[in-house]
Amino acid sequence: VSFTDSDLIARVLSREDQHAFGELVRRHQSPVRAFLARLTRGDAHLADDLAQETFLKAWQKLQTYRGGARFSTWLFGIAYNEFRMACRRRKELALEDVDESSLASEEPAVARDSHLRLDLTEALKLLNSNERAAVMLCCQNGLSHEEAAQVLDCPLGTVKTNILRGKEKLRQKLSLDYKNYESA
Amino acid sequence: MNPPETNDPLDALLREQDKYIEDNGFTARVVAALPRRRRAWLRPAILLGAVTIGSVLAAGWLPWGNLPVLDSSALLSLNSQVLMPWMLVFSVMASLVWGTISALEWED
Repeated sequence: VSFTDSDLIARVLSREDQHAFGELVRRHQSPVRAFLARLTRGDAHLADDLAQETFLKAWQKLQTYRGGARFSTWLFGIAYNEFRMACRRRKELALEDVDESSLASEEPAVARDSHLRLDLTEALKLLNSNERAAVMLCCQNGLSHEEAAQVLDCPLGTVKTNILRGKEKLRQKLSLDYKNYESA
Repeated sequence: MNPPETNDPLDALLREQDKYIEDNGFTARVVAALPRRRRAWLRPAILLGAVTIGSVLAAGWLPWGNLPVLDSSALLSLNSQVLMPWMLVFSVMASLVWGTISALEWED
């Protein structure tokens, strides 16, 4: 029998069923951990700590989940809040903009197939946290702009701007030759 | 959902990078760390209980039968012997109303 997220949430709320919650964690751990790993610029240990805090908060506040948004969207919102709180505690994760001159001054990255993935990982680290979060949520996790605005607690226009700026920086960093890439 | 930008290789590359992260004991660690869930109804129930007790005490102890007549002359003269008992009654009633509304609109 396959339970939906809603079924599992109902079991957690009515019976305090830890197994049901464990199933929810199992289903959603990968995108949440990946999202936080990107936000923390690849610090997997910190990302996992934040992911664990995210799910513990979700456990405690589950009765406030209204079901209007997808459960994963609600989780991303908690995860982003945990990241912001970690930023306040740890200055090296601060949400400051990356110096854009660092994009222009460097030699263009060679976007060959074998290096493209590694280049993208590095290029994502150059985005500021708001841009990275917006790009990750919409372009990688398939959230709508509206859902991303809800997760990031900012206006819709800000999300769109951050995605445009973020992707432009990625293109600039990768010096992506679309025609070559498509033909590869 | 946003219309997929199928022609943008950057989007394709980003989606391609979305790899599944193996659990490797993560779920077990989270479940082991779960605290007892706070019961959502407990705090508003306590507040409602306190409001009920307060209402009963107010009904029994306030001098309902001996309240002075509150007319415009008493209000204008700011006669404390008239106003003070009424202020006490209004304060108690306002507290009870506030407690009831807070309990009913409680969000954890």
